[in-house]
Amino acid sequence: MREPPVILSAVEGIVDEVMVQKLIAEAGGSPGTVYGKNGKAFLRQKIQGFNNAARTWPWLVLVDLDNDAECAPQLCAQWVPVLASYMCFRVAVREVEAWLMADADSLASFLGVSRNRIPANPEQLDDPKTEMVNLARRSRCPAIRQDMVPREGSGRSVGPAYASRLIEYIQTSWHPEVAINRTESLRRSIKCLKQIIEKVSK
Amino acid sequence: MARGTGKPLHLTGVQLENWRNFAQVDVGLQRRVFLVGPNASGKSNFLDVFRFLHDVVAVGGGFQEAVRKRGGVSKLRSLSARRYPDVAVHVSIGNDETPTAWEYELRFTQDNRQRPIIKREWVARGGREIMCRPDDKDETDPERLTQTYLEQVNANQEFRDVADFLATVRYLHIVPQLVREPDRSVGRSNDPFGGDFLEQVARTSEKTQKARLRRISDALRVAVPQLKELELWRDPARGTPHLRGKYEHWRPQGAWQTEEQFSDGTLRLMGLLWAIMEKAGPLLLEEPELSLHSEIIRMLPQMFARVQRRTGRQIFISTHSSDLLQDEGIGLDEVLLFIPGEEGATVTSTITQKEIRDILQSGLSLAEAVIPKTRPQKATQLMLFGDI
Repeated sequence: MREPPVILSAVEGIVDEVMVQKLIAEAGGSPGTVYGKNGKAFLRQKIQGFNNAARTWPWLVLVDLDNDAECAPQLCAQWVPVLASYMCFRVAVREVEAWLMADADSLASFLGVSRNRIPANPEQLDDPKTEMVNLARRSRCPAIRQDMVPREGSGRSVGPAYASRLIEYIQTSWHPEVAINRTESLRRSIKCLKQIIEKVSK
Repeated sequence: MARGTGKPLHLTGVQLENWRNFAQVDVGLQRRVFLVGPNASGKSNFLDVFRFLHDVVAVGGGFQEAVRKRGGVSKLRSLSARRYPDVAVHVSIGNDETPTAWEYELRFTQDNRQRPIIKREWVARGGREIMCRPDDKDETDPERLTQTYLEQVNANQEFRDVADFLATVRYLHIVPQLVREPDRSVGRSNDPFGGDFLEQVARTSEKTQKARLRRISDALRVAVPQLKELELWRDPARGTPHLRGKYEHWRPQGAWQTEEQFSDGTLRLMGLLWAIMEKAGPLLLEEPELSLHSEIIRMLPQMFARVQRRTGRQIFISTHSSDLLQDEGIGLDEVLLFIPGEEGATVTSTITQKEIRDILQSGLSLAEAVIPKTRPQKATQLMLFGDI
């Protein structure tokens, strides 16, 4: 059997890093070095470089749509008008948190909240991160609340160990194969990855 | 750990007058405190306030000794002190529910013989004064003002919790060379530079020691994947304790290495992880980022937060690292910004700075907002060094 192809990636932050590693493995690839992790502005600045690199090697670049554009194709057209042949440029609608909510059972049990609190259509949310924090606020588990919800007066939108909790969730509980049923942007991302892997393997 | 109010106590605020390079300071303190500022802006001097109070109550310490260790009142007093030459330290101790469960104030100067003399010592519990000096006895015997009540078990009965709490303050700035050559700090206990680190590990009960070392080796595997196992080992000839790690190797059994062969980063990270697992009083960490990879540094704030949730231990972290400050979970009220000025340095919480709040609102990270402010104003001059 052939070795799974190594896929390089570039992302906004440390949670996205774990996300792309999981997606690449899910699609049958082998996660390579993850670049960026210095915010969206950094990726925006370097995207042309990553796209050039993707002429010869498979790349996955993942960004949040946020409220930068109406829809994912629009953002894609702004960032990379011409995609290189091995570039898988994907946009999470509107944030990676929406993908995490799309596996509702797993998230409900990880956060310790009731299943019906998890939004049914996470891609419709304007601000999935705030929604995630609000879900954690209702957690039955004090440790989750303390880690994920910002202290009053902290001036931040997330708690002190928010990122590490999401990372833990992605690594231990989140099932992308379940989540794709509720988020089109995730379904397409995995599909695109699989196509690229197939293309490389030929 | 101090008792009395349920949740573990921590330092909730500090006010200073004429302390070293600060003319005046008045800041609140959270359970996690990040100290940022240019070199020589007073981050270590700020931490020294808590080390000083620790020295006052420590066994073999006391007020006179704590001042003497620091070179006398004239060394402690800010150069900008003119009209009001007293040095004053005021700390609040409490928890989230009751931030001022206790307040302690010490104001002092020196007498004609350059001995440190207390001008005022004051304690309040729950906002109500329970002790205030000079009292009648001090008036009749001024010699008494060379000692604090805080350091005397006969006199601090009513506020023993404060003394006990301050005794738990711990400063840590591990110097890997000292860990490797413990002979250099023979006989010192609680050596902040890690000289007795191995002794400390050896002194811990076997069960706790094994459990902690296992957790440390699990955590270290992120940074040093080849490391498989970590244990305390005594040199059979001399009886001295050593840490040794089993490294995965091309040989099936792997190879054991002792601390002498560990890298600086591995040793520092081990010392750091060991310290934060202890359930004790405020931990003062000086630049924990030294010799660590930027990817590891980024994980430190979240790690501290999660450990703190379990141990309740307060952690002060002085840092120059933008990797560390990138973390979006760091509260603006957890960051103290040190800026040197002509009349001494100033310390402000970043939550009070509208400019920083605005920069964050626009999507930049805390590091991007804060680090440029801590840049020495004439840093570019350093490049001209060779021409001078």
